[in-house]
Amino acid sequence: MATNEPEHEHREDEEAPTGDEEDTGAQVAPIIRLEEVAVTTGEEDEDAILDLKAKLYRFDKDGNQWKERGAGSVKLLKHKESGKVRLVMRQSKTLKICANHLVLPTMSVQEHAGNEKSCVWHATDFADGELKDELFCIRFPSIENCKNFMETFQEVAESQNKKEENKDATAAADALEKLSVEEKKGEKEVPAAASEESKADADKKPEESKADADKKEKEEPAPSS
Amino acid sequence: MALPNQQTVDYPSFKLVIVGDGGTGKTTFVKRHLTGEFEKKYEPTIGVEVHPLDFFTNCGKIRFYCWDTAGQEKFGGLRDGYYIHGQCAIIMFDVTARLTYKNVPTWHRDLCRVCENIPIVLCGNKVDVKNRQVKAKQVTFHRKKNLQYYEISAKSNYNFEKPFLYLTRKLAGDPNLHFVESPALAPPEVQIDLAAQQQHEAELIQAANQPLPDDDDDAFE
Repeated sequence: MATNEPEHEHREDEEAPTGDEEDTGAQVAPIIRLEEVAVTTGEEDEDAILDLKAKLYRFDKDGNQWKERGAGSVKLLKHKESGKVRLVMRQSKTLKICANHLVLPTMSVQEHAGNEKSCVWHATDFADGELKDELFCIRFPSIENCKNFMETFQEVAESQNKKEENKDATAAADALEKLSVEEKKGEKEVPAAASEESKADADKKPEESKADADKKEKEEPAPSS
Repeated sequence: MALPNQQTVDYPSFKLVIVGDGGTGKTTFVKRHLTGEFEKKYEPTIGVEVHPLDFFTNCGKIRFYCWDTAGQEKFGGLRDGYYIHGQCAIIMFDVTARLTYKNVPTWHRDLCRVCENIPIVLCGNKVDVKNRQVKAKQVTFHRKKNLQYYEISAKSNYNFEKPFLYLTRKLAGDPNLHFVESPALAPPEVQIDLAAQQQHEAELIQAANQPLPDDDDDAFE
């Protein structure tokens, strides 16, 4: 079969193709009546601290390859009350969710070998409404945007860490208090999440605890020893 | 309409029949919507594959049961037996293969014998390819038979939502219906197991060395 000049063809692609917005379809009787409903994004109580165009990939372990997950807007959303931050990405046009996970202190975003516009991380993702371990790669139109994303992600992860430590510090302090009150029953009372480091922090500077810790302190002040 | 072994849902659902020659991209198009991936490898569909596909609209959530039928004659299975109770349809052809457009009237005829007066969208796929054999202006069948036509690309996502949006509007008789953000539920807290975390980190290092499938592509939609 004959081929036409590719140059010409390509230009035509970029024009609005015929039939694009025009309805040439037959009149058909609707088979259902739908009423307008209130729309909730689920993001109402959060502020976007980052919002960028990007393309997301998930790693297919069986095939040992990256597979596209979606292209659209990636956001880091900070909850107005809890201060928790999550990553939410939606596919453009259909606005479906392709990633939805908390940014946790244990996470770290890393460079993607050989590509300065993309980076990788692991997350327990909730995009489909069930928790799944995923390795993600995200690619941006520019190196700058990728850097911006990596820096913000890392900052958030670390700030969540401080918050966690403070929470742990308070918990550890509470536990330590109990230990002294209950005549050293043993280490069982100390939550597993509280590391040696955060216990030490609790001893040194409980007065530095933030919002959530403060609340707790009002009810049950941490010892200063 | 759901298969007997498929869960029914408490929101509106429709049976969508997808037909067209083999290799025009029906399965790739459905897969793109289901998981986001773009499958380059061609594996002919045998008989039919049915996939539920949900969309969120300003009039609530809706579902298409996509009956992705075999394009290749030798794998046709029940053929128009799959069309029964179809409530809407997509006829797909490949703009880089003229024969697939020439066969559109046959697919349309067979479809209309079983399903009368259902909304149908004709899709010219692979418009991202520079060397087209069927130009937009040469596509006229939809005007003769009163179908809607969209040029699409499952690869670049060009117009990829349009066929579903059009069909939803027709089925609901609402020309202003549109897609809205699906609710992003709060992800539950997860307990991090140290051993598991170390394993993820090791896997991540491996993955970071694998190239992306489409590094050269600049479409972010």
